[in-house]
Amino acid sequence: MSSALELLWVEKYRPKTLDEIINQEEVVRRLKMFVKSKNMPHLLFAGPAGTGKTTAAHALAHDLYGEDYRLYVLELNASDERGISVIREKVKEFARSRTPPEIPFKIIILDEADNMTSDAQQALRRLMELYSAQTRFILIANYPSKIIDPIQSRCAFFRFQPLKKEDVVGRLKYIAENEGVEYTEEALETIYEISAGDMRKAINILQAAAALGKVTVEAVYRVVGMAKPKEVRQMINAALKGDFDEARTLMRRLMIEYGLSGEDLVKQIHREIFSKEVNMPEEARVLVADYLGEIHFRLVEGSDDDIQLTAFIAWLSMLGRKLGVT
Amino acid sequence: MSLARRYQGRRKLPWIIKYRPKRVDEVLNQDEAKRILGAWFAAWARGKPPSKRAALLYGPPGVGKTSLIEAYANEHGFEVIELNASDYRTAQAIRRVVGTAAMKRPLFGKGVIILLDEIDGIAPREDAGGLHELLRIIPQTRNPIVMTANDPWKDQLRPLREHCILVQFKPLTKTLIMRLLSRICEAERLYCEREALSLIADLSQGDVRAAINDLQAIAEGYGKVTYELARAVLRGREKSVDIWRTLNMVFYAKASWMAKKAVTQSEEDYETLIAWINDNIPKKYGEPGDLFRAYDALSRATVFLSRAKYGGSWSLLSYVFDLIGPGVAFARREGQVLKGRYAFPERIRLMASLKEVRQIRERIAERIAPRLGVSKRAFKAEVLPYLFIIFRNSPVVAARLTLGYGLTREEVKFLAQARANEILELAEKIRRARPKEVKAEAEAVVEAEEKPRTRRRGRRRKKEEGEKGKTLDMFFG
Repeated sequence: MSSALELLWVEKYRPKTLDEIINQEEVVRRLKMFVKSKNMPHLLFAGPAGTGKTTAAHALAHDLYGEDYRLYVLELNASDERGISVIREKVKEFARSRTPPEIPFKIIILDEADNMTSDAQQALRRLMELYSAQTRFILIANYPSKIIDPIQSRCAFFRFQPLKKEDVVGRLKYIAENEGVEYTEEALETIYEISAGDMRKAINILQAAAALGKVTVEAVYRVVGMAKPKEVRQMINAALKGDFDEARTLMRRLMIEYGLSGEDLVKQIHREIFSKEVNMPEEARVLVADYLGEIHFRLVEGSDDDIQLTAFIAWLSMLGRKLGVT
Repeated sequence: MSLARRYQGRRKLPWIIKYRPKRVDEVLNQDEAKRILGAWFAAWARGKPPSKRAALLYGPPGVGKTSLIEAYANEHGFEVIELNASDYRTAQAIRRVVGTAAMKRPLFGKGVIILLDEIDGIAPREDAGGLHELLRIIPQTRNPIVMTANDPWKDQLRPLREHCILVQFKPLTKTLIMRLLSRICEAERLYCEREALSLIADLSQGDVRAAINDLQAIAEGYGKVTYELARAVLRGREKSVDIWRTLNMVFYAKASWMAKKAVTQSEEDYETLIAWINDNIPKKYGEPGDLFRAYDALSRATVFLSRAKYGGSWSLLSYVFDLIGPGVAFARREGQVLKGRYAFPERIRLMASLKEVRQIRERIAERIAPRLGVSKRAFKAEVLPYLFIIFRNSPVVAARLTLGYGLTREEVKFLAQARANEILELAEKIRRARPKEVKAEAEAVVEAEEKPRTRRRGRRRKKEEGEKGKTLDMFFG
């Protein structure tokens, strides 16, 4: 680690070509055939997070168009774009832009396509048909079942498997050695267990643990613990104990110091509800989840973050008193 | 000379003076205040001044603060030295008037009560001397000093509060006001419609003085009090109430109509009201059940508000008022209203800083997420937590990442919180110690990205950084 600058390793060690993708052999083999024939249908990449779907889409484009591939790729993210009309405008404009020299189509990568409502997906289907002469879509989804049938039937389907232990550990070892990081074999295995085949998560854990010093099993667990702000748990416990003011202070600190939105915070709370370190009777946990779900729904509807979460805290303190939590 | 005598003989004696209570038990309601003050005055009467020699009577206007003191004085033979609000501002005036009265020895057993009205009207800076003088006099006074205020929680009154017994006066209920009005109607032999009295009582919002004045205005103009007349005369009388009064009327409401009136007639918009109520519920309610019911009502109010805003109809706003007024008021079933002072909503400040941090977070996501091939959402959920760990625990690595991604000062502050300066200094040191390397690596990083993108970046930087952009452009050719 002698260089003056540093990048996130998920960026630095991201495969650029199909050949560099060391797992997903079946997927890579089929994708290479498209490169060879210089043609392809619409594609649907499905599989869990961190299995290389987006990376594969970029690598495919790279291999098709060469170094300047970004000129011919439009990258959209269903969860970041504001509605189908924005997507439609961008696709329209992109379809009109210049075409690559040897290949008769451009590529539109639509990430998190399963986050679109089925109405938006219907509109997307029409877009795919309208511009199929000049463009190919690569749709990326965690849950293919959330993609409507008419789209599925128009796409070649690629399933990305969760990464195998040797793939993940091998890659981590390669990175660690390249970066001059001290590590233990067990620590890398622990990272694999925790990340459950999600390469992005695994590399992030490795980098954070390395930043703290030697990568040991303890360091890995420390990092994983720190990735969830401890204030979330403290907030829940304070509320259950009836310390409303303390819980509320923590809630506001979480929003300020981590920039969390109400929904982010609800998700973090949801993860803690079933944790052993949150002290409450087992049967109460579902009650909490149920009420939290209601709060989540209200937030999705556009209701006020601070007030909804304060109501949740007030509800928790009342529950805590009823259950006699101390 | 009493006010009543001053007006005697004239035909149009104001009814608020004509019907002013002459005995303590004629003062409507306020049993708690009567009990506390009775004991306090009794101590004075025994010749043993209580440990706190001044009393601060607080509550909305027209609920009987001054009346009770006058009634007490009348009943027990005290002389009241009443000071008009504008009289006692400066230290000199206070020393002259209050100081003298405070040291006055009772003549023939007849005690003196010093009454200072509207003490909350004292300006924090200009009248500071007067307040200071008052604080000097109170511990030495030989006669009871009584002050009144609508808002006793003002900051400048803090030292004064410590020297006073605090006596709260509550707004009067509609029923009580109506009963009083109809008694006056009988005494004046007036034709009065019940609906008219009901309207007058409603509009008075618990202020007896306002109600009696309104009744007299109608009666003297028309010789009778009908609903139609009342409506015509009192149109526009729906005065707005200040935020403190609104809060009081919500938290101390005895009936839903009072709480609803408080929020619908407030001059503040509903967003401001919600902010104030939100941060003052814990100041007033202590029992978990009460707290929850109040916040539940408030949170459902914001649900209606969002439905009204996004696609619903603005007529839903009416339910917002139901919930923030009566909903919050009648959430209290277990505990008492706490005595805590009202606080300025932290929320308004909170919202401003929240907006700022969320923008910073968004900017970081916009910049880095595409380079990792993830959505901004995924970046925030899956990558950002690890950046927090690095920035909050490992300044050296953080400094190098700062250089690697060209993070701004405020972005580093957001990521690192307390350790930001350490990181920024380190980054600066690295930049200075190894300028060539930093430059070379920056080039390498840029080169590693695809060309079209670099070009776009170059142009954008040029726009943002002006002169700096030029030097970068040299590498992009």
